[in-house]
Amino acid sequence: MIPVKDGERYLEELLEALGREGVDEILVIDSGSSDRSPAIARAAGVELLEIEPGSFGHGHTRNLGAERVSGQLICFLTQDATPCPGWLAAFREAFELDERVGAAFGPHLARPDTSPFIARELSEFFTGFAPDGNPTIQRTGGESFLSNVNACYARECWQQIRFREVAYSEDQAFGRDMLEAGWAKVYHPAATVLHAHDYGPLEFMRRYFDEYRGLRETTGHVEPFALAAGAREVARAVAEDRRWMAARGMRPGEQARWIARSAVHHGGRRVFSALGSRADRMPPALRSGLSLERRGDAADPPADDAGLAETSPLPPARRIARKLSGEIYDTPARVWRTGPAPLLEPVPGMADRERLRLAMVIPTFSRGSGGHNTLFQIFSRLERRGHACSVWLADYHGYANAVWPGVLRREIQEYFAPFQGPVYKGFDAWQGADVAIATGWQTAHAMLELDQCRARAYVINDHEPEFFPSSAEQALSAETYGYGMHPIAASPWLRDLLKSRYGTPGEAFQLGVDHDVYRPRPVERRRDTVIYYARYATPRRAVPIGLMALAELKRRRPEVRVILFGTDEILDASFDYEHVDVLNPTQLSWLYSEATVGLCLSLTNFSLMPKEMLACGLPCVELAGISAESIFGEDGPLELAPLDSNRIADSIERLLEDRAEWDRRSREGIDFVASHTWDQATDEVEAGLRHALRVRERAATPS
Amino acid sequence: MADVSTSTSEELAAENARLRERLGALESELVEVQARTNAIVAQSQERAYWLDRWHVDLNALMERPGASEFRASLRAARSVTRLLRRLKRRLGS
Repeated sequence: MIPVKDGERYLEELLEALGREGVDEILVIDSGSSDRSPAIARAAGVELLEIEPGSFGHGHTRNLGAERVSGQLICFLTQDATPCPGWLAAFREAFELDERVGAAFGPHLARPDTSPFIARELSEFFTGFAPDGNPTIQRTGGESFLSNVNACYARECWQQIRFREVAYSEDQAFGRDMLEAGWAKVYHPAATVLHAHDYGPLEFMRRYFDEYRGLRETTGHVEPFALAAGAREVARAVAEDRRWMAARGMRPGEQARWIARSAVHHGGRRVFSALGSRADRMPPALRSGLSLERRGDAADPPADDAGLAETSPLPPARRIARKLSGEIYDTPARVWRTGPAPLLEPVPGMADRERLRLAMVIPTFSRGSGGHNTLFQIFSRLERRGHACSVWLADYHGYANAVWPGVLRREIQEYFAPFQGPVYKGFDAWQGADVAIATGWQTAHAMLELDQCRARAYVINDHEPEFFPSSAEQALSAETYGYGMHPIAASPWLRDLLKSRYGTPGEAFQLGVDHDVYRPRPVERRRDTVIYYARYATPRRAVPIGLMALAELKRRRPEVRVILFGTDEILDASFDYEHVDVLNPTQLSWLYSEATVGLCLSLTNFSLMPKEMLACGLPCVELAGISAESIFGEDGPLELAPLDSNRIADSIERLLEDRAEWDRRSREGIDFVASHTWDQATDEVEAGLRHALRVRERAATPS
Repeated sequence: MADVSTSTSEELAAENARLRERLGALESELVEVQARTNAIVAQSQERAYWLDRWHVDLNALMERPGASEFRASLRAARSVTRLLRRLKRRLGS
């Protein structure tokens, strides 16, 4: 199928060559030639379809041609591309290479009178597709170049993809679309045509304007206006042209003449291709003037050949260039596809060895992260007990891309605990472990992919699906509980929830308190101060409820001093208050030792902060009916209130008013948390890790 | 017959115990190797802290154009300095 307009120069030669190659059917579509082109087609006895010039569109007209011919392989040529002997056989061979081959294309040889710079570029460009001279197959993700100067399509592929009805570069768009749809494409170096666009210098530039305008419209590519880089590129291209001419024995005088043309050609291309990329910002008259095809509109809509169909109301879809190397949650997708990596065979007695190889996978962190503090308080103690411990960062979102491992390690030491082992980003250096430990939903799938492990454990700080509204993250985090990793939960409440909701039996540990830091400090206890952990950025902290409770308290007792802490954010409130930023542990212990009542709400698992307040003798109000009762009982040292701002205000007020009650809560709080230490938490977690190994051993022991 | 069977059973038990002991030793060795590897990597991360913090990859830096020339010029400057120091010492003594 050959679209033609004023193509008499090569058309006769082209049709003869096609006859020689033995094609079954030839269709010439003429769009208003004023030369002998239609007569040449008629004389050659091929089918001629004449269309209005205004109805021509590169994609539209080729689709029309493909609909009119009947073969299973449809070749497209331009009017100035003459097939060389063996052209058709090469295309037939290309489609034999793989059953998913949907299109093939071949090289363009320069005609003898072609400018040297065009001849060189053509030769180098096509050699790059098959450096060894053999046909190459291009698949999804590979090179998408395709040229309708000389291409052949499987009908099935064309029917599925079809040429986009774009003004230009319909072939490039097809190449990309077909690869994305799973088709393969072949470059066959023997499917050769003689072809060259040898225009005058200005015509070349205007053609580049059209080409890059088409590329922008179909692929979004924008050619940069980089002056210095452009000048270097032009100089390099001119030097290559000179070498190419010298290698072919061109006389120096002739070389000099062509070198001047070469500089104009390459320089003009740089400028006009960049202009073409920005054609949409130009006035139509200027666009038309710069276009070889005299296209003045932004993107010519193709006219319907019959003029009967309605115009589609759909706006043109924008193509968005790929920005990521993969999707954010590719790791879970890989686990869904291939399943978790197999565990190593259990070794008798492995659960009871004195020293274990432990690898903890953590999510990204920042200063003040309570979950990470818990993890590293425990993990650094496990390390001190002689276990070989390493830490591995899983970072789906690339939050820590700019932080190198040495810095991560130092931050862990500064923010949390003096962990002495190595810290790895990613898993390229993965060495295996007796127990691999996931520590958050963002680490679970990454950990499931790790091989050379004897057991997997999951230290669960909170019920993370509750952190999200209905979302991919909620589903993914809930899904992590179903992979049989041995759960070690940060409270009995959480352990029971995992068992009842997910059928995952596990163990629990109690969060520890650093009693060297959190203890009553020598400062006078105030009788009027309520402190509130108002971390608004953490929705599970129910900060709007807490603020309403404090507003109610201030309404009842305007003299009460309220301090908000734990966040850098200054919150807007309906009452006056004082604000302190994120404090370090020592500062916190002084604040807790001076205040009268602490308020700390959690809608999910109980956090460490109320324990630390109690350790400093500060009675604390928490939410009833969630997780606190599983640790403190219903009338323990914590004052529990329902999720009702008035009732929370009642509880705070009672502690402010009732001195005896305050004394009881303060005394019982200190006594209660005295036994809650990080060493005890480490004992419990270590027992859980050994249990994970023991479960594996038992499963392997023949009954 | 009973003696033979008892003797075989004892031999198996002994072999089993020996294998368990060997396994235990290999396990200990594995943990020891892992602990040493961890210590070496941790030590190198400790040493590279400031390079990591400033995002300096010295290997990549020294492969950039001009790096070897820069090193050569440093070597040349150092040899001149040493020569001058040596001369100074000789003249001074």
